[in-house]
Amino acid sequence: MTHLRRLRIVTRAGGVPSRWRLSANTKDILTGYLFLVPALTFLSVWWFWPMAYSLYLSFTEWDFLRPEKQWVGLENYTRILMDAEFRRVLGNTLYFSVGSVALSLTGGLLLAVLLNTKLRGSAIYRALIFSPWITPTVAAAIVWIWIYEPRVGVANYLLSSIGMRKLEWLGSRQWAMPSIILFTAWKGMGYSMVFFLAGLQSVPKELYEAAEMDGAGLWTRFWRVTLPLLSPMTFFLVVVSLIDALNAFDQIRVLTQGGPSGATRTIVYYLYQNGFEDFNVGYGSAVAIVLLLITLALTLLQFRMARRWVHYD
Amino acid sequence: MIRGISLVRTANTGTRSQHGLHALAHVVLLLVSVAVAWPFIWMITSALKTRDEVFRFPPSLWPAVPQWGNFPEAWFAAPFTRYFFNSVYTASAILVLQIAVAALAAYSFSFIRFPGRNFLFIVVLSTLMIPVVVTFIPSYVILARLGWLDSYKALIIPSGANVFGIFLFRQGFRQLPRELLDAARIDGAGHLRLLLRIVLPLNKPYIITFSVFTFVGYYNAYFWPLLVTNSPEMRLLTVGLTSFFIEAGAYGIEWPLMMAANSLAIAPLFVLFVFAQRWYVQGVASIGLKG
Repeated sequence: MTHLRRLRIVTRAGGVPSRWRLSANTKDILTGYLFLVPALTFLSVWWFWPMAYSLYLSFTEWDFLRPEKQWVGLENYTRILMDAEFRRVLGNTLYFSVGSVALSLTGGLLLAVLLNTKLRGSAIYRALIFSPWITPTVAAAIVWIWIYEPRVGVANYLLSSIGMRKLEWLGSRQWAMPSIILFTAWKGMGYSMVFFLAGLQSVPKELYEAAEMDGAGLWTRFWRVTLPLLSPMTFFLVVVSLIDALNAFDQIRVLTQGGPSGATRTIVYYLYQNGFEDFNVGYGSAVAIVLLLITLALTLLQFRMARRWVHYD
Repeated sequence: MIRGISLVRTANTGTRSQHGLHALAHVVLLLVSVAVAWPFIWMITSALKTRDEVFRFPPSLWPAVPQWGNFPEAWFAAPFTRYFFNSVYTASAILVLQIAVAALAAYSFSFIRFPGRNFLFIVVLSTLMIPVVVTFIPSYVILARLGWLDSYKALIIPSGANVFGIFLFRQGFRQLPRELLDAARIDGAGHLRLLLRIVLPLNKPYIITFSVFTFVGYYNAYFWPLLVTNSPEMRLLTVGLTSFFIEAGAYGIEWPLMMAANSLAIAPLFVLFVFAQRWYVQGVASIGLKG
């Protein structure tokens, strides 16, 4: 078949745009669409349709079981606005997201700067610090429950050995969130470290040399050379990490189940409890739409800010 | 000339302060590394202790008599073999599906001109801004209607398309020299053959990086599997671990067994990490530099 076609090109070569070329073009176009069919099918069924359906469900009241969904209009949304618990959930989410992102990014950046000094054995340090990131959050979290165990856990052993009072950790309303943040930063710090390291290695050496000749010390070089050059990456990492944090579920489910008394209930956990524990499908869907809006707003805001102050060379 | 001299000088004065700096960096990195690795060390030594030993305070690092038998005991205390198989099977199936779907789409977006291509690309990319959790309730309803709940299909099919994979593959594909493809086209190769014989083999680094991240991601996945499976036969390792933790009364009593089961669940990932570390690092780097 192909041979035959090639033959026909040869025989018609030089002539007016032949029918073969035309049909080959159409065939290319068809192939182009055909190759997209699997992706678009999956996306339609498991992304676009669910999005639209989520929006629809957020205007109804339903429990997964009743054959009829009851249309309630904006009621779920007005309930969200009035819901004191939802406001607390948003506060928890902010606390968790900002806390864990700030901790893991700052730690990651400092470690990357240290690793970038071309030390012997830096590959081992890098591997060790990155290792939590590859483990299942669930398994790692169970280990941390054991570490945070209030009576015989190693965290309290550490505190008591430096003469401090033992803490209830995950069982305390005050300390549960910091405990989860510490866990999350522990797990994610290596990722930001490797990420920053890649950025640092792309900073041209001459810039440091020039700065050093101008008498810039370590500190000045870090603030005036390293940080501005890293800002596009930092920006990207902040956005991605914040969105990740916003969607954190595994560690909250394992470590505290949102407790004690709601102290660690974040927006995704609230969605889970409403949708899949209490079967408030409508209300849960409305929470999902709010989560979507927050994510979109965050993404757009960050992109806009990025254009303003990010350094591009 | 002047530049040369000053460089030598800074290099000389640099070494002394650099020695101090290096020593400091070593100390900090060593401390942080030990602290970060500590939970895993603690997990393994706790797994080797007896039930009495773990509750001793102050705790000892190493058990008096290492209880190696805890590992098999934990593994057979729950259907962990089945859980492990489910996790590996699901992650592999999703990986194969995602590579196939993403490769076809990325090829189309990279090499074929057709009306609406940019529009469709933006439509596809727009899903990157949607948190996957937002699709969970409706996807659950769809699975229930199809009668697919509590099956491999429920675990695998909804994850068929990975938009990030399409994006990543497209980045790789577009770096191929155009002439190479044109030459192959003139030789009469169809698009599918081009993709399989030329484009994919030349993009091995991208595929390996993607595979490592995807496989580990789905092996570690918890939220979605928790929602759509409920029989023990369908549980993934992550869900199995938590149910062992909660149901089997392991919580609070059986810490050594719990830590042994955890160690066994994490071990394959560490083995993979040792061999594939380069791909992890490259993956994180390429995501960062291209983002």
